[in-house]
Amino acid sequence: MTFAERMLRIDRRIIFLVIGFCTLLPLLYPVGLPIKISPEVRGVYDYIESLPEGSVFLLSLDFDPASKPELHPQAISLLRHAFRKNLRVIAMTLWVSGTGMADQVVTQVAREMGKESGKDYVFLGWSPGGTAVIINMGQDLYGAFPADYNGKPTKGLPVLQGIANLRDVNYAVSLGAGNPGVEAWYVFGKDKYKFELAGGCTGVMAPGLYPLLRSGQINGLIGGLRGAAEYEILIDQKGKAVAGMDAQSATHLAIIVLVILCNLFYFSSRNRARQQGQAGA
Amino acid sequence: MIFLRRQVPLLITLITGIVFAAQYYVPHPASEQMLTSVTKWLQIIGGFALVLGVSSLFHVHAIKIRRKEAGWGYSFVLYVSMLGTIAVGLWSNGKEAVDGTMTAFGWIYNFMMVPLQGTMFAILAFFIASAAYRSFRARSREAAVLLIAAVIVMMGRVPLGEYLIPLSGDLSQWILNVLNASVRRAILIGVSLGTVALSIKIIFGMERSYLGGGKE
Repeated sequence: MTFAERMLRIDRRIIFLVIGFCTLLPLLYPVGLPIKISPEVRGVYDYIESLPEGSVFLLSLDFDPASKPELHPQAISLLRHAFRKNLRVIAMTLWVSGTGMADQVVTQVAREMGKESGKDYVFLGWSPGGTAVIINMGQDLYGAFPADYNGKPTKGLPVLQGIANLRDVNYAVSLGAGNPGVEAWYVFGKDKYKFELAGGCTGVMAPGLYPLLRSGQINGLIGGLRGAAEYEILIDQKGKAVAGMDAQSATHLAIIVLVILCNLFYFSSRNRARQQGQAGA
Repeated sequence: MIFLRRQVPLLITLITGIVFAAQYYVPHPASEQMLTSVTKWLQIIGGFALVLGVSSLFHVHAIKIRRKEAGWGYSFVLYVSMLGTIAVGLWSNGKEAVDGTMTAFGWIYNFMMVPLQGTMFAILAFFIASAAYRSFRARSREAAVLLIAAVIVMMGRVPLGEYLIPLSGDLSQWILNVLNASVRRAILIGVSLGTVALSIKIIFGMERSYLGGGKE
């Protein structure tokens, strides 16, 4: 067996080790390379910036703990921005397994920004029905969520004053890790109830949402950890996403090097096999 | 019995399908009120579906344990975890925290479910790297194009890539915004047309597989 063939059959644990080191080392010794802001992330930031005080901002945290590393920093940055702008925040989730996590992030950021539940923000929690919840909220918000996550009746909450349904929402952002997520909010929400919408998603999902972005169906997109890092820079509050970008840089580079090496070994062993074939003939 | 099992569901599908397809284009208050009522039904049905899903899961794994099928131990773990979580959840009134103090249910969520799901997702990075090394080879022209595009996007999506090759950021944006978006849109339109065709077939009773294959 040639060197190239041996390298093509390398023990996968060596690759795991390389990736492990590439993740760990930059986290321990951060470099802090500059991060360029993409137009799709700036779209979300600019729209929130343009909203007047007291506007209604709906944040749907449609993900579970599996996508926490990418979507949690996005949620934190968006909430910080919305609270800083004194927007009225309505938070909720369409994923039952993400309810506790969503409650924690909303409560944590609200406390940090000195905001009061029921007055400045409300966490509605989860309601069964998936996409039907969006339509139900579009028809009657109080029918879909008669009480908030803490059991307080939603009717009469100061933060929801003047809000009857989704038509009264000024801006909605769905941080989605699958279905129901950003697409469902467009199809069942924005299309009928005419509010402005943006999306946040995991890195692997982002390419699938570009058609919605290009056609203006969503006005911005925060994609993966990179998008979260860009948003942290925009609001000038660096957090876990910016810290994780060095690790992501290193792992991306490691994968690129591995792919190039694998192709070099592949062509080398193929050429050798061809030469041997010709010599044999 | 056939009337109840076949004709009635087909009739309900036909009527609701036509009525609610038309409802979208009728902004009359009565039409909106009808939609409001029906979406409430949908939410209630969604709640029942959850109960049905859980009971079905219990049933499937109970059979596995009873017959001692291969991997029945995992089913047993699932049973114990699920029953335990349900009991603790009911005891904690479904709350992860009360007045800032974590409940037992919150403990299970924060210290078991969150790290377990996070770990499952995190190990993907290792498998992707290993799979990329083993199979991402330029065996054909199409594979070579895919390979080059992937490398550019991977470079352009991280600060180090943009630092080493400044053009990679713009190139990656162009690939995502133009090539990727147009191809995805074509697929999306195809899928949507297929969905419309399937919906019409279901509404008019030409597609009946959703009724199940029970005895007639």
